Amino acid sequence: MKPAKEIRVGNIIMVDEKPFIVLRSDVNGSSRTGFTYKWKMKNLLTNAPLENVFRGDDKFDVVVLDKKPVTYSYFADPLYVFMDADYEQFEIEEENLGDALHYLKDGMECEAVFYDGKAISVELPTIIARQIVYSEPAVKGNTSGNVLKEAKLENAIEAHQHTIMVPLFVSQDDTIEIDTRTNEYKKVVRN
Amino acid sequence: MLLNASAPSLAIFCKVVDNYGDIGICWRLARQLCHEHGFAVTLWVDDLASFRRICPDVDPQAARQVVQGVAVRHWQGQDGVYTAADIPDTVIEFFGCELPPSWVEAMAARTPRPVWINYEGLTAEDWVEGCHRLPSMHPQLKLTKHFFFPGFNERTGGLLREAGLDARRQAFQQDPAQAAAFLGRFGVPPQEAAYRKVSLFCYPEAPVAELLRAWEADATPTLCLVPEGVARAQVEAFLGVPALAGGHASRGSLALRVLPFVPQPDYDLLLWACDLNFVRGEDSWVRAQWAERPFVWHIYPQDEHLHHKKLRAFLQVYAQDLPALQAFMLGWNGAQAVGDWGAAWRALEAELPRIAARADAWREQVTAHGDLATKLRDFVCELGQAQENRV
Repeated sequence: MKPAKEIRVGNIIMVDEKPFIVLRSDVNGSSRTGFTYKWKMKNLLTNAPLENVFRGDDKFDVVVLDKKPVTYSYFADPLYVFMDADYEQFEIEEENLGDALHYLKDGMECEAVFYDGKAISVELPTIIARQIVYSEPAVKGNTSGNVLKEAKLENAIEAHQHTIMVPLFVSQDDTIEIDTRTNEYKKVVRN
Repeated sequence: MLLNASAPSLAIFCKVVDNYGDIGICWRLARQLCHEHGFAVTLWVDDLASFRRICPDVDPQAARQVVQGVAVRHWQGQDGVYTAADIPDTVIEFFGCELPPSWVEAMAARTPRPVWINYEGLTAEDWVEGCHRLPSMHPQLKLTKHFFFPGFNERTGGLLREAGLDARRQAFQQDPAQAAAFLGRFGVPPQEAAYRKVSLFCYPEAPVAELLRAWEADATPTLCLVPEGVARAQVEAFLGVPALAGGHASRGSLALRVLPFVPQPDYDLLLWACDLNFVRGEDSWVRAQWAERPFVWHIYPQDEHLHHKKLRAFLQVYAQDLPALQAFMLGWNGAQAVGDWGAAWRALEAELPRIAARADAWREQVTAHGDLATKLRDFVCELGQAQENRV
């Protein structure tokens, strides 16, 4: 059993004895009343999508599925193709990739997840580095508190180009680390 | 008063974490659902002593009692054993407090299964709109809980506001004799009652000493009314003696009086009687908005300054065109540095008439889509009429 706060996009969880894949996880709330995790999920048996909210301490059975290291290879509309070390290809539907689409990059290493022998999703590394391709310059003097600005990330698929909130001191062309569990900025990668 | 056996039954579970705010909100909700919406309400509370401070009718020793028509049960931990027969039609867990495991199992065993609501904390952050009314499937049992978020617009659950509140407030505020009599209960003499009156309720982190100095040096006489136990160290430093109820002192333009902790209805009167209210947490924050007087909110401090995000979200919807109030509230909560509290106070003071003038419009804006208890009742009815809580 794993608490909701440890479950990641791509994990398969059992709810009411049915397997669901977590496609997107948004965390919000407060340390006072506890964090809430809003998940977009899909029933793997019926393909029915579902949106639910959970508390961080709600516990789920996580289905341990076969995984295999793969790299993102190319987009063969409407499927995303990944390749393992033996050059075997695995096609995954866009809707099963969830938030991973925001971070796909040619040659990106991740883990393909298999259910009933079929690749159904990928799990990304917890921390990934991505370059910022566009962000407004910091507004002079606006430096108080936790003020953030939007930053657009590099992405292999233009339709899924993603923005995240970064501190004002982060600049365009910087490379930043992102926590893929929370989609949050972690730090700037200094060379 | 006896409970109505034929009314739809409803239980609220309240865990007192933050002094009186949790029970303050639950008690308001319980009474409103009982008196205005006809539910037979049972309020389970883990801390009856705190409850008694806001409602003196409560017997802190009683495991079961009926208070103002609401059944009150002392929630004595997670080990209780319950059956399906104990479960009411609707169960509300407040702020995600964990229900006893046996209670949850009994909920799953009940036919039909109860409507289960998780009542969340109030925030103006926009993510709430995407989570309000969403289901939360129980990972192991055939049960679905639904999240219910208070809020400031039609995409949320609204704010707690009982019927008849405005009429009572207006009657009080339009009759200076009522306010004078109320303040007289605390030993406020007529001369001080004519000062600008400020109530002060905050967490210990607030820069109270700086504010008191600003009021001391101000041109306008100020009467500061502070409940016993609030900002104790700074109040004692001002008084020069322990800050006990009844304690008072004057210095410069400031007169300060320590009030006893008052029951919920009297706290409303205090807010209505004052020209400016410093409030904290959630319950007094909402009541200050209904008082239609300017207020400064001290938000419950959280790790990693998460409360600053929540504060900024509120200022965004409430004080966009009130720069001095924004700056003062950010400074009061440590979200922004304040170099000169005297200047910050004078700027706020100059803005107070504008804040007061729009209080009525703010109430109308927030209540245009209904009050929380009514919206909660409608949601509960909607869920109860659904075929079955699907999982």
